[in-house]
Amino acid sequence: MVNDGKQSAGEATQRKDSGSGRRGETIVRRRPLLKAAGAGTGLAMSAGCLDSFAGSGGGGREELDGPLKIGVLAPEPTNNPIGASIANGARLAAQQLTENGGVDGNDVEVVVKDTKEDPGTGKQKYQEFILDDEVHATTGIFTSEVLLNILDDIADQEKVHLTTGAATPEASARVNEDYEAYKYHFRTGPINAYHLGTNLVDFGEEMFGEMGWEQIAVLVEDYEWTRPVSQALDDQLGDTGVEVVMRERYASGTENFTPIYDEVESSGADAVLTAMAHTGTPAIVQWARQQRGFEFGGIHVPMQLPSYSAATEGACQFGITQNSATPTSEVTEKTVPFANAYQSEFGSYPVYTGYITFDAVKQYAEAVSSAGYVSSDEVVTALEDSSYRGTAGTIEYYGPDHEYAHDVKYGQDTVWPLFQQWQDGSQEVIYPERLATADYASPPWI
Amino acid sequence: MVDVATLAVNSVIISALYALVAIGFTLIFGVGGVLNLSHGATITLGAFAAYYASGGIVEAGVGGAVLAAIVVPALFSAVVYKGLIERIQDQPIMVMILTLVVAIAVEQVFLVAEGTQPKSIPSLLDGTVALGGSKFQTNLLVVFALSWVIIAALFYTINNTETGKAILATSMTTKGAALVGIESDRVNLYTWVVAGALAGVAGLFLGSFQTANFAMGRGPLMLSFAIVVIGGIGSVKGSLVGAYVIGTAEVLTGAVSTRLTGLVPLLLLILVLLVKPEGLFGRELAE
Repeated sequence: MVNDGKQSAGEATQRKDSGSGRRGETIVRRRPLLKAAGAGTGLAMSAGCLDSFAGSGGGGREELDGPLKIGVLAPEPTNNPIGASIANGARLAAQQLTENGGVDGNDVEVVVKDTKEDPGTGKQKYQEFILDDEVHATTGIFTSEVLLNILDDIADQEKVHLTTGAATPEASARVNEDYEAYKYHFRTGPINAYHLGTNLVDFGEEMFGEMGWEQIAVLVEDYEWTRPVSQALDDQLGDTGVEVVMRERYASGTENFTPIYDEVESSGADAVLTAMAHTGTPAIVQWARQQRGFEFGGIHVPMQLPSYSAATEGACQFGITQNSATPTSEVTEKTVPFANAYQSEFGSYPVYTGYITFDAVKQYAEAVSSAGYVSSDEVVTALEDSSYRGTAGTIEYYGPDHEYAHDVKYGQDTVWPLFQQWQDGSQEVIYPERLATADYASPPWI
Repeated sequence: MVDVATLAVNSVIISALYALVAIGFTLIFGVGGVLNLSHGATITLGAFAAYYASGGIVEAGVGGAVLAAIVVPALFSAVVYKGLIERIQDQPIMVMILTLVVAIAVEQVFLVAEGTQPKSIPSLLDGTVALGGSKFQTNLLVVFALSWVIIAALFYTINNTETGKAILATSMTTKGAALVGIESDRVNLYTWVVAGALAGVAGLFLGSFQTANFAMGRGPLMLSFAIVVIGGIGSVKGSLVGAYVIGTAEVLTGAVSTRLTGLVPLLLLILVLLVKPEGLFGRELAE
């Protein structure tokens, strides 16, 4: 399919008529967006780039002739460990692929751009990938709000995108609802946000009794990614036998946790079950400094950082978090070698987005190779058929008819997160049993 | 339900912190008539100076962190005044633009240098203290006590020293002060330095309580507006009272729903502007 200006306009009319309101709205919005991008790059150059895209989208079969180019969208890749892991995970994968003969003899190249965790910036950077960099596919994206804002652009451009951080199941719901338009989106990891909540419950069923957590306060930060987590906990937490004595979705950007913790203590909870990413550090630091009378664990993204104990002066000790992998845990035979290679190359260990992005780039390259074509439709089919043994588990995707279409499968044989507790400055795995390196330990002040 | 004693102690602690935040802001406005939008950035600078001095760059301990949190923002404030504001302080729009640019520039520097992950600053004192059946963080009680020591010292200085009286006189009438030989530019510089030091200490306290991040000054800047308007623009005493009004309202609202805490200062600000625009102690502003 030639993606020139005339055809875009034609497509817009055609798609609006097809009755998909959301798609129609997006296509109408494309013109100002492309104009804005064009202002930065020059109209002539933009037109050239769009022309040069002919045949590389969903339609037509294009063989790879030259480097395989992958665009990586990462938040603050130079100084945010989550963004840096996305960027460096992709770089390391590309480097290893190229060193091992590339994809059908072609090098693999990655271009990294900063989303700043801002939906508008993410959209602009995605357009730059398409117009300026002529990438074959994109990966990355940590923030669900950013992903949702470019989902229609991914559909419009018909470029494969493998998400490696954002967890909102809204993306997979769109694939399920309008497969032909949105089939280019895959979530390599983490498991989607509803499954993240389910995994908390699975952990609780196995471990809460042993940990002495009978009464629980659920504390969830109010961001897009936590809505399905809350839903899963509401649906399933009762099955674990614990009593939920408090539920709170606290405001995004909360920095003072004193009133929330006062309320938790008043509720008599043994522990808080958390879903925190953006607000996690003030929460854990204040919990430890104030030596609150309840235990602390759940999903806590900053606590997944291997360097977190030093960064918080030990405040994270005794905190628990779900994680994709730790540098020493053998989730698969590829996990530890990757972590060590990453450390050797970049001087620090990756966080979960590093493992997932490394897997995404390698799986994508394998899909291009097995399809024999780089054009998106062929690669989509190859990815749907793929079962890739990665560093974070075996990556397989739910089919088009599944409610979580193109999300990575959650399960003991596919991707099953681990739970780690910070003990003496180390990330000790306490669940699942096959990976456990320590028993759960209560904070000494309780 | 959270008990009343806990709410009361939380209220006075957070209010003392807010008073430190707002007094510097009101000093600069009251004396120089300058709306300093970089005040929040100075708070951030104080917090990061403490972070760098306590392990981020050097291991100077808590004492070093306190010293850095006072000296660095005070110097920064002096540089901003002498380098940018002094020559345009009679042009309010230019002042607002420049101080806003300074605020954004400081944020961006810390964003580039440190990223978005919050930084932990050491407590002034570790551990907890039991008071009236409730447990409180010792660090917060120290923050409360030190805030009052600093505020008392400031009041004493303003009311009883020659420099303090010069500041007070300039805040009442620049022309009158000039007639009796007070050099207003020097007085303005003093107020910027004092305000910088107060903001720096506030940053250290806030950081040791909540953690530090590149955007941590935005909230306090908004609070300063609300507090200063409620207390009466230019009144140091009014800022003190305003801080307690806002701090208490915030804690009480937080007991109902933490989601409302950010809204309360703004609602109070609107209410005061509608009902008593000069604020509680607004008459102290003579010009």
